[in-house]
Amino acid sequence: MNQQLAGFAPTPVTARMENHGKTMLKVAMASGQDLYARTGSMVAYEGFIQYEPNPPAVRQIASQWITGEGAPVMKCSGDGLLYLADYGADVVVINLNNDSLSVNGTNLLAFDAHLTWGVEKVKGLAKFAGQGLWNVVVQGTGWVAITSRGTPIVVDCGRGEDETYVDPDALVAWSPNLKVKGKRSFKAGALIGRGSGEAYQMAFSGQGIVVVQPSEDSTDRLRIRN
Amino acid sequence: MAREFQRGHKAKISDLTPGTDLYVGVQIAAPGLTFDISCFGLDADEKLSDDRYFIFFNQPKSPEESVQLLGAQSGDTESFRVTLDRIPAGIHKLSFTATLDGAGQMSQIGPGYIRIVAGGEEVVRYAFTGSEFTTERAVMLGDFYLKDVWRFAAVGQGFDGGLDALLKNFGGEVAEEEEAPAAPQAAPGFAPPAQATAPPAFAAPPAPQAPQPAPSFGAPPAPAPAPQPMHAAPTIAAPITPQAPPAPAPYGQPGHQPPQPQFGQVPGQGVPPTPPYGQPAPAPYGQPAPAPYGQPAPPAFGQQPAGVPQGVPAAGAGLQAALQLYKETATGQRWTPQNQQLMRVDLTMGGAGVLARQGSMVMYQGKVDFGYKSAGFVGRAVGNATGQEMQLMRCTGRGQVFLAEEGSHLHPIELQGDAICVSAESVLAFDESLQYEVRRVEGHGIPGGALFTMQFQGTGTVVIKTHGTPVVLPVTPTTFADCNAVVAWSAASQVIVSSQVRLRRNAYPGHSGETVNLQFRGAPGNFIVVQPYEV
Repeated sequence: MNQQLAGFAPTPVTARMENHGKTMLKVAMASGQDLYARTGSMVAYEGFIQYEPNPPAVRQIASQWITGEGAPVMKCSGDGLLYLADYGADVVVINLNNDSLSVNGTNLLAFDAHLTWGVEKVKGLAKFAGQGLWNVVVQGTGWVAITSRGTPIVVDCGRGEDETYVDPDALVAWSPNLKVKGKRSFKAGALIGRGSGEAYQMAFSGQGIVVVQPSEDSTDRLRIRN
Repeated sequence: MAREFQRGHKAKISDLTPGTDLYVGVQIAAPGLTFDISCFGLDADEKLSDDRYFIFFNQPKSPEESVQLLGAQSGDTESFRVTLDRIPAGIHKLSFTATLDGAGQMSQIGPGYIRIVAGGEEVVRYAFTGSEFTTERAVMLGDFYLKDVWRFAAVGQGFDGGLDALLKNFGGEVAEEEEAPAAPQAAPGFAPPAQATAPPAFAAPPAPQAPQPAPSFGAPPAPAPAPQPMHAAPTIAAPITPQAPPAPAPYGQPGHQPPQPQFGQVPGQGVPPTPPYGQPAPAPYGQPAPAPYGQPAPPAFGQQPAGVPQGVPAAGAGLQAALQLYKETATGQRWTPQNQQLMRVDLTMGGAGVLARQGSMVMYQGKVDFGYKSAGFVGRAVGNATGQEMQLMRCTGRGQVFLAEEGSHLHPIELQGDAICVSAESVLAFDESLQYEVRRVEGHGIPGGALFTMQFQGTGTVVIKTHGTPVVLPVTPTTFADCNAVVAWSAASQVIVSSQVRLRRNAYPGHSGETVNLQFRGAPGNFIVVQPYEV
């Protein structure tokens, strides 16, 4: 009976974070190497792992989060293997090598606790677009996992001479050194029900990358469940 | 969409994918057996004239890094990165092989495959099983070969000898080949090469050998900042091995406690005194040592102090490397699929605008104008009446637009004077140069009296979207499809409604529910597209 399922057994650990399939993240935990993960993203674990759903350190950094509910990340510590997923979204594992990345809060799955991180409010008009209200800037050397609904695409912003415009619902992550501004593209016609459906975009300019998902579904499923 | 190859199939790489930076994944596994998966770079005479192009666990990349061994990932037992345009002119063939390490024979293997992934999308897969082989000890899985252009062939040919015999078959350089076949047996002599950059995944534990600049997780030479006030466990992290210099405590609590090799002393945690992480443990978590699925368990892995959570991803460290797989690919064509779910339109090619479903733009670069596309009065009326209404926007200007919708799979269909019928809700975008009109499929029994579709005609591209991987069926005398699941069909085929005539069709519970089907008739060459989702 087990034969057919054998192919889904976890592969040997070779790195701190790895993909198990496209949509599951496997993190090798060891004590002293804590991890912040989205609350509610744990699907399984093996070993001795403890979760602290609302750590004071997070509350401090995340004071800007308009919450009242718990902070959306939890601290995981212990030894073992931790499996995380976000409702079947694709998981992209990134090993930061003294880089920094700004991730839309909804699309952040997990990151090493020793990384420097901070919460920013999304600037400009994006907050009207049904978007999560916050994005997280992660910086340093370590591991980050982000999610994307569908296979993402990475665009070099500095390649074209023009700015790159992104639908805020499809935006996943970007380099924090990019200049961001909101752009309204609707014209008078939009007011009488003749819009093109694309009213707000975020404009990026400068040297860096932008990660975009092929879906305009930016609902925070982990949040809804809470 | 991935193409399935059978043994002996061949194709130009350029027909499979516009990309030249390819990921080649091999999955092969058998209970209790381990495999060495390697790549031979052969010259025009099919000889391994330069043994630097024998890519295997002991030599994970070629000199100019056109072929790199990446290690196990994404369900693949072994994976390679092949950059076709960097392969030197002397190399005419890359042969991917799998050899058994230890006893056993190829007939024991389970289902496996070799596949090529480009731009995050699997483009071709050749699947095989053990029943195709007998007592062979090695198998040549697939070849990249240069015949005017690079091509891929699914070989699937067994080979009686092991790795050394295979080497002899290719090589001739028997003298130099000593090191290679010796490696599987002579375990102590096997050490991962001390590459400073991008060590292959399973050679990750070189941390104790040399302080390397790559961000090996466990023992970073630089003390990591970020004190952790909430850190409860005073034990220092695993990968600091006894022979490693007592590095500054990497995580928190500087000077709080010297690195101690004892483990499992976390207060308040009943950790059993197993030799957990960071010890020279046989294998960390849940992996039986013989490694039944995949992973030609390199002997060195168990012998070096294997800190668990270190290593770098297969593609290398850093942000750019991690996202390399998802890079934008520009081919100089007007419509370029970036991956299964994302389409890139270059408006600078071809001049005319593009009509796209409203709200389907996820990103654009350049000066692009998005305008409302009126359906016109008649169009509105017809659209409302038939349900074949499209809310469109017109994209014009100079730049690149990226289109996607809800992660649906996208398929560009290039029309050259021919026509295709597509259900309106499955249209994502099309060239403005195409003519389209609503067509009616008549028949009784269809809910609403008749079925309407959109017919596109002319020269240009239509992008259709499907939920999930569709099936494209050739039209035969007996081709039927559910009218809710069919997405598109070539307009030259004739559609007939076939309803199962049955008394009291809906009068009892548990009837099949499949009452109205469309039957297609047409000359050979016609096709229909069906999605696994009944809207």
